Amino acid sequence: MQGLKTDLAPSKNVVLPHFKYATISFFVLALLMVLSASDLAGHYFQPSILSLTHIAALGWGTMIIFGALYQLIPVIMETALFSERIAKINFWILGTGIFLLIAAFWHFSVNTLLPIAASVVFIGFILFILNITLTAIKATKKNIQTYFIVSASFWLFLTGLLGTLISFNYRFNFMDLSHLHYLKIHAHMGMLGWFLLLIIGVGSLLLPMFFVSHKLNIKKIQFSFFAINGGLTGLTAEWWIFNSSLLTPVFSIIIVIGILSFISYIYDSYKKRMRKSLDTGMKFTVLSISLFLLPIFLGIAASFHLPRDTQLFNRLLMLYGFGFLMGFISSLILGQTYKTLPFIIWLDKYKDLIGKTKTPMPRELYSEKISSIQYWSYVVSIILLSVGIIFSQPLVLKAGSYFLLICAIAYNINIFKILSHKPVKEKSYEKS
Amino acid sequence: MKSPDEILKIEGDLLLVLKTVMDPEVELNIVDLGLIYRLEYDGDKKVDIDLTLSTPACPLGDAIIANVNETLKASQPDFEFNVQLVWDPPWTPDQMTEEGRLALEGL
Repeated sequence: MQGLKTDLAPSKNVVLPHFKYATISFFVLALLMVLSASDLAGHYFQPSILSLTHIAALGWGTMIIFGALYQLIPVIMETALFSERIAKINFWILGTGIFLLIAAFWHFSVNTLLPIAASVVFIGFILFILNITLTAIKATKKNIQTYFIVSASFWLFLTGLLGTLISFNYRFNFMDLSHLHYLKIHAHMGMLGWFLLLIIGVGSLLLPMFFVSHKLNIKKIQFSFFAINGGLTGLTAEWWIFNSSLLTPVFSIIIVIGILSFISYIYDSYKKRMRKSLDTGMKFTVLSISLFLLPIFLGIAASFHLPRDTQLFNRLLMLYGFGFLMGFISSLILGQTYKTLPFIIWLDKYKDLIGKTKTPMPRELYSEKISSIQYWSYVVSIILLSVGIIFSQPLVLKAGSYFLLICAIAYNINIFKILSHKPVKEKSYEKS
Repeated sequence: MKSPDEILKIEGDLLLVLKTVMDPEVELNIVDLGLIYRLEYDGDKKVDIDLTLSTPACPLGDAIIANVNETLKASQPDFEFNVQLVWDPPWTPDQMTEEGRLALEGL
C-alpha cells in the first residue's frame, strides 16, 4: 500500500509476552509495596526499596516499553525491526535477568546472585540496543523520533553498564567512591536518558495523534532533544568523571528547560485537540504529564541541595524518585497500554473480518468500568503514598499501598481480558 | 453509460456506504473525518477514490483501507474500485464535516 508500513509490524509473539510480563510485574510491585510500605518512610538505599525500584523500572517500565517499541518501530522508523528472533530470545534473557535481580535485592544477595543477575540484564540491554540501532541504520527515513529512540538506547547502555559495575563492586570493591554516588548517576541516566528521552520521542508522535491535534511546533521537540541530551551529558560527566557537583544546578536547569519544552508541546496538542472528551488512556496521560511537575520541581531543589534539613532532604529525594517512577512513568504506561494493546489484539483478531462483517471497536475489548476503578484507585494511592513519604507516616503509606494494589488488580483484569479476547461471532455483529 | 444525474446519485450512495467505515481509534466515520478526497464514478463500472489518513504514522491505515475496499465491494459487487492513498494535501481538522466536528467534540 502506498506510503503505508503497517504490514511491517512484527509478529504478536514478539510483542505480547512483554505486555504480559510487565502487567504481572506491576501486580507483584503493588504486592511487594503492601509488604514493605513503611520502608518508603526510610532511606532509599535498602533492600526492599532497591527491589521495588528495579521491579518498577525494569519488570514494569522497561519490559512494556520494549514490547510497545517493537510494535511501533515500523510506524516511527518506517522499516521492519532488524531481527524478530533477537527480540524473542532477548525477552527470555531479560525476563530471567530481572527476576534474578529482584530476588537478589530482596534477599540482599549482593556477592553472588546480584552480579550474575545484573550481567544477564545487561546482556538483554545490549541485544535490544543492537536490534534497535541496526533497525535505525537501515531505516531510510530518520526523523527526530528516531534520534530520540537511538539516544535513549545509548543511555540505557550506560545505565546498564554502571549498574553492572556497581553489582560487581560489592564483591571486588574496585570503585573509588561510595555506592550512593554511583547510584545517583545510574538512576539519572536511567530516568532521564532512557525513560524520558524514549517517552518524548514516541510521545511527540503518538499523543497528538490520540488528541487529534495538528499544526504543532516540532522545533520544541528538537530543542528538547538537544537540551536533555546536552544537560544529561554534562551532569553525567561532572558526577562520574570529575566527581564534582559545582555545575549540577546549571545542567539541571538545562534539562528542565528541555523537559518544559516537551510539556509545552504536549500542552499545545491538548489545547488544540479536536477530540474534547478523554478516554481512560488519555486521562491517565494528562494525569501523568501533570504529575511530572512534582519530580521536576524536586529535582531542581535537590540540585541546589535544598532543603538543608538532611532528614527532609532525604524524604524529598525519595519522593523525587517515587514521583518519577510511580507518578509520571507508571501513570503514562497505565493509560497508554489502553491506546496500544487493544489495537494490537483487534488487528490480530479481526484483520480478516474487517469490512466483511461488523466488528467491535478496539475500546470494547476491555471494561470501561474496571479502567475507571483503576484510575481512581491509582489517584488515591499516589496522593496517600506521597503524603506518607513527606510526613514519614507508615499507616498512610500502608493505606496508599492497598489502593495501589486495587489499581494493579483492576489493570491486570482488564489487560488479561484484552489478551484473551476471542473474536465476537458474526451473528451478533452483522453489518447493518 | 449512466446520465450525469445517475452518476451523481451513485456517487452519493457510495459516500453513504463509506459512512459505515469507521476510524477505529477516533471512532468516527471516514467521510465525516474528511479522509475521502475524491470519489469519481465513470458512469460504467469503474470508481476512483482518493483517500488520506489523519497522519502518515497511523498504525491502523491498512485496516481502514481494507475496510473501504471490502465495504465498497459488498455494496456494488460488479464495480471495480480503485482506492488510492494520497498524502497531498496533508489532512487537517479543517477537512472534517460539521457533523464530524460536532461528533468529535461530543456535542
